[in-house]
Amino acid sequence: MAQPSTDANPFGYSEAVWRLFNQAPRAGAFAPGTAGVVAGTAQSNAAHAVLRIELQLAGGRVADSRFRAYGCPTTIAVGAWLAGWSLGRTVAELRALGAADLRAALEFSDDRAHCGLLGEDALRNALEKLQR
Amino acid sequence: MPEVPKVIYLDYAATTPVDPRVLEAMLPFLQAQGEFANASSWHRPGFKARAAVEAARAQVAALVGAEAGEIVWTSGATESNNLAIKGAIEFNATGRAHIVTARTEHKCVVDTCRYLETRGVGVSFLKPAANGIVSPEQVLEALTPDTLLVSLMWVNNETGVVQDIARLAPLLRERGVLFHVDAAQAAGKLPIDLRRVPVDLLSLSAHKLYGPKGAGALYVRRKPRARLAPQMHGGGHEWGMRSGTLATHQLAGMGAAFELAARRLEGDAAAVAGLRDRLWQRLRELPRIHRNGDPAACAPHVLNISFEGVEGESLRAALPGLAVSSGSACSSATQEPSYVLRALGRSDDLANASLRFSLGRGTTAAEVDQAAAMVMEKVRWLRSLSPLEAWEV
Repeated sequence: MAQPSTDANPFGYSEAVWRLFNQAPRAGAFAPGTAGVVAGTAQSNAAHAVLRIELQLAGGRVADSRFRAYGCPTTIAVGAWLAGWSLGRTVAELRALGAADLRAALEFSDDRAHCGLLGEDALRNALEKLQR
Repeated sequence: MPEVPKVIYLDYAATTPVDPRVLEAMLPFLQAQGEFANASSWHRPGFKARAAVEAARAQVAALVGAEAGEIVWTSGATESNNLAIKGAIEFNATGRAHIVTARTEHKCVVDTCRYLETRGVGVSFLKPAANGIVSPEQVLEALTPDTLLVSLMWVNNETGVVQDIARLAPLLRERGVLFHVDAAQAAGKLPIDLRRVPVDLLSLSAHKLYGPKGAGALYVRRKPRARLAPQMHGGGHEWGMRSGTLATHQLAGMGAAFELAARRLEGDAAAVAGLRDRLWQRLRELPRIHRNGDPAACAPHVLNISFEGVEGESLRAALPGLAVSSGSACSSATQEPSYVLRALGRSDDLANASLRFSLGRGTTAAEVDQAAAMVMEKVRWLRSLSPLEAWEV
């Protein structure tokens, strides 16, 4: 348990992880065939987690985003954070984001480092598709 | 931030609150104006404390059809199981050194047997059928000329599966094999009559039955006599089998709890079984859920379900208003799904995404309905988040 257990956050997740897990903003997917959408997926067999991020680009920036996640609360929070953070960002800014940034933003503990890597991998996968 | 919900407690198999009548029975033995003396002391206050301990011993014995002199006090079921298994092996003068048990036993039995393996004792860990049952025939097949002891729990703590102890016990007696049964989840839930079922050693716990934590007992049959080497040495208490000053208040509480359980057994079992079935009926409206363990051989208070399409930690975290146990001890990338459910053939994902609901005297129909609604809502929500889901949520 990374944080002390409280009535409001009994399992001791970081405040950011707990809020994003419970609210899961931008959860979902674009309708198939939506113009300008690029999707990236990453999977961790060891952690039983899958993260998919969908970015809709317009004029070189992210105009809209969605995510879906199967995994622990931190994985879901990483997806929600990535989807929110990416709005308005350029491709160069997306490329510069790494697992350490996710970890710093969401303040999760060492034993959840793989969740940050999952987020980075999903984003990289989307950007690779964009290049092609 | 979500609102802080009132917690619905459905974890009575983990522990129960102390019944107010039990607490009332305990208090006099803690206070200066009461009977706080050492039950081994040779004076009038000591004799009074001793009398309370012996009255409690008779109350505990009565619930399981034993004689008071066959009840040895311990600190709980873990100690009882350790004393039964290690004590039998160490006392053993026959040279036999083989134990038969099951993979689905409580950790304190599995780990005790694993410890004994490191000391040269052979152990056969039987794999139950997919419904959690270890058949008597399977046990008999595993016996060797070296088998000294069979250890099998009456009711599984995770699935509630009830083993056929009554059929197995005489078969082992005929073969001269000691039979130890962990009855921590069975006592007070199922009728137990050791006058009719020839078990040699039976572990009991107070806090599963509205008694205090830190108190337990081991039934040790006198005729024919089951003999044990003590695991706790000292003043020779408990006929030399378990030394240590007796916790008079805890034992008085355990006695009161067991007497209460004997009076309420039939009514309690029917009430919680009805609520358990109601919970299952509500939850099974969800597609792709699996009940773990044989519903036809299940203790009245337990319901264990695996949910497809959700990850276990998220499922538990999504239900902060529900106090239930899970089939997982995961805290990192290296998840450890329930070894009990894995032994029943469940995949890692299904074993991890499981909840054990256990009901008790305080459970109401309204709580059951509310709990079912909460679980269904959160399972659907988590499935809706999953990129793996292309099906009905």
